[in-house]
Amino acid sequence: MIRGLWLGLGLVVIAAAAMLLAGANPLLGFWALFRGALGGERQISETLVQTTSLLFPSLAVAFAFRAGLFNIGAEGQLIIGGLAAGVIGARLETSGLVAIPLLLIAGATGGAAWGSIAGVLRARFGGNEVIATLMLNIIAGLLANYLVVGPLHSPGATGAETAELPHSSWLPGLLPDTRLTIALLIALALAFVLRWVFDRTVFGYELRAAGDAPEAARRAGINLAKTAFLAMALSGAMAGLGGATIVTGVLHRFNVSLSPGYGFIAIAVALVGDLDPLKIILASFAFGILQSGALTMQAFAHVPKDVVSFVEGLAIVALAARRFVAGRKQMTALPQE
Amino acid sequence: MSEFGHFIDLVLVKATPLIFAALGGVVCERAGILNIALEGQLTVGAFTGVAVSYGTGNPILGLVAGVVAGALVGLLLGVAATRFGVDQIVAGTGINLLALGGAAFGLTVVFGQPGASSEVRALGLRGEDVLIACAFLGAVLLHLALYRTPWGLRTRASGENPRAVRSAGVDPRNVRLMATLLGGALAGLGGVYLSLGELDLYSDNMTSGRGFIALAAVIFGRWTPLGATGAALGFGALAALQFVLQRTGIPSELMQALPYLAALAALTGIAGRARAPQADGVPYVE
Repeated sequence: MIRGLWLGLGLVVIAAAAMLLAGANPLLGFWALFRGALGGERQISETLVQTTSLLFPSLAVAFAFRAGLFNIGAEGQLIIGGLAAGVIGARLETSGLVAIPLLLIAGATGGAAWGSIAGVLRARFGGNEVIATLMLNIIAGLLANYLVVGPLHSPGATGAETAELPHSSWLPGLLPDTRLTIALLIALALAFVLRWVFDRTVFGYELRAAGDAPEAARRAGINLAKTAFLAMALSGAMAGLGGATIVTGVLHRFNVSLSPGYGFIAIAVALVGDLDPLKIILASFAFGILQSGALTMQAFAHVPKDVVSFVEGLAIVALAARRFVAGRKQMTALPQE
Repeated sequence: MSEFGHFIDLVLVKATPLIFAALGGVVCERAGILNIALEGQLTVGAFTGVAVSYGTGNPILGLVAGVVAGALVGLLLGVAATRFGVDQIVAGTGINLLALGGAAFGLTVVFGQPGASSEVRALGLRGEDVLIACAFLGAVLLHLALYRTPWGLRTRASGENPRAVRSAGVDPRNVRLMATLLGGALAGLGGVYLSLGELDLYSDNMTSGRGFIALAAVIFGRWTPLGATGAALGFGALAALQFVLQRTGIPSELMQALPYLAALAALTGIAGRARAPQADGVPYVE
C-alpha cells in the first residue's frame, strides 16, 4: 500500500514534468483533468462509463493471470465480442427483453471463441499464449474491418461500422441524459462473482493452484491443459461481454475503433488492483478518471492527451512486480502429450 | 525498370524495417528475453530520427539518434526484466503503450501539431539503398556473431540454460541486458528506415503493427537470423502483393492477416515443430 502511494507520487511527478515540457502549467493540467473527470454529474457519469469499459477487460486479464496465463488479447476479444453484438444487433427487431440478453450472450460467446483459440494452442500444443493473443488482437481488428465493410455490411452504415442498433436493443440507462447504463451494474456483479469463484469454489481453487504452483497442481490431479483452456475461454468471454456493452450501451453500433486500447490498459488496471476483483473495481475507477479527464486536460490546459497513455505505460512497467512471475515461469514448462 | 523490377523494389522497401526489427527480436529471444516491445522500439526510433533531423537539419544525426533511442528503449526492457524482476511480457506491453503515447506527445511538443510531423530532411534514395543493404548485411553478421563467436555462444546459452552460463562464470543477466540493447538498436534502425528512409516524416502509429509482424517473422524463421530475414522478406512480399492484387477481389485484410496467421500456424507446429529457446521469456533469478 505504502509502495503504491510512492509509485503514484512518482507518476504524478513525471506527468507534471511532461506537462512542463509541453509548455503547460501542471497545476492547471491536473485541475483540468480532475474537473473533466469529476467536475459535475455529467463528468462523473462519463468517468463511470469509462470505468465500466475498463472493468470488463481488466477482470478478464486478472482472471487469466490468476490461472498463470497471460491474456494480452483482451483487446481482440473485446473487439470480436463487440462485433458479434453489433452485427446481430443491427439486424434484430425484437423486444429489448429478448434482444439485450441475446446480444450480451453473443458478445460473451464471440469473446470466448476468440480467447479459446489461444486456449487451444496453449492446452493442446503448448504454444505460447502471449504470442498467440498478440497475433489474435491484430487479426481481430482486420477481421472486424473486413466483415463490417464487406460481407456483413449493414445497410445505412458508413465507414467501418454497423448501422445503429434499434432503440429497443439499447442497454437501459441508469441516469437520464447520460451514457451510463446497467453495464456498470453487470460489471460490478461480475467482479463480486469472480471474487466468490476464486475464494469459495473448487474451480477457482484449481485455477489458482494451476497459476501459483502448476507442478503441485498437476500432481494433485488437476488437469492443467483443461484449466488453461477454460481460463482463456472465460477470460475471453468477459472481455467480449465488455465489447458487447460498449456496443449496446455506449455507441449503439459496432465501430472498428470502439476501443481506445482498453484491453491493454486493462493489464495496468489488473496489476494495480493486485489481481483482486474487488480492488480492480477501484483501480478501474482511477484509470477511468484518467481516460475521461484527458480530453478536458487537452482542451483547457493544452496538455496533449497522449500524456495519459505515456503515464499508463510507465505505470505498467513499474507495477509488474516479481510475485506474478512465479506461476508463469513453471507454466511455460507445461507438459506436452 | 520492368514491372517485375518495381515489384522487387517494393518488396525490399516493405521488408527492410521488418528485417531490422526481426533481427532485434532474434537477438533478444535467443538471449532469453521475449521482446514484445519491438513495436515501441520501432516507434521511438522513427520519431526520434525525425525529431533530431528536424532540430539539426542533419538526417545522419537523426539516424544515429534514432538508433540510440531504440537501444535505450530496449535497455529499459532489459533493466526492468533483469534488475527489477519485472515480468518481461508486462513490461513489454507497458513499453509499447509508453512509446506510442510518448511519440504522440513528443509530436505536439516538438512540431506543435498532433497527427504528423512536418517534412524533414531525410536520407534520400541513396541512403535508403544503403539501409536496405545494411539489413541483409546485418542478418549475415548477426548469424556469424551468434554461431561463430564466444559472445554468440553466451547469448544463445542464456536463452537455453542461463544456469549453465552462470556456472561458467558469466552473469546471464548481463548477457541479456546486452541483447536488449542491441535488439533495441536494431529495431530503432528499422524505425529510422520507416521515417527517414522510406518517408521523410513521422505520423502517429506509422509502424502500424510492424513490430508484431517482426515477432511473427522471428517465430516463422525458427529464431535464427537468416530464417527470420527470410520470413520478413516473405511478409514484405505479402505487403507488396497487396498493391498488385488490389483489383482482384482478394480482401486486403486477408493479405494483411497472413503473417499473423502464419505465426499462429507455426505455434501449432503444423509445419514442423517451432521450438522457442528453452528459457525464452523465463526470468533468471539467482
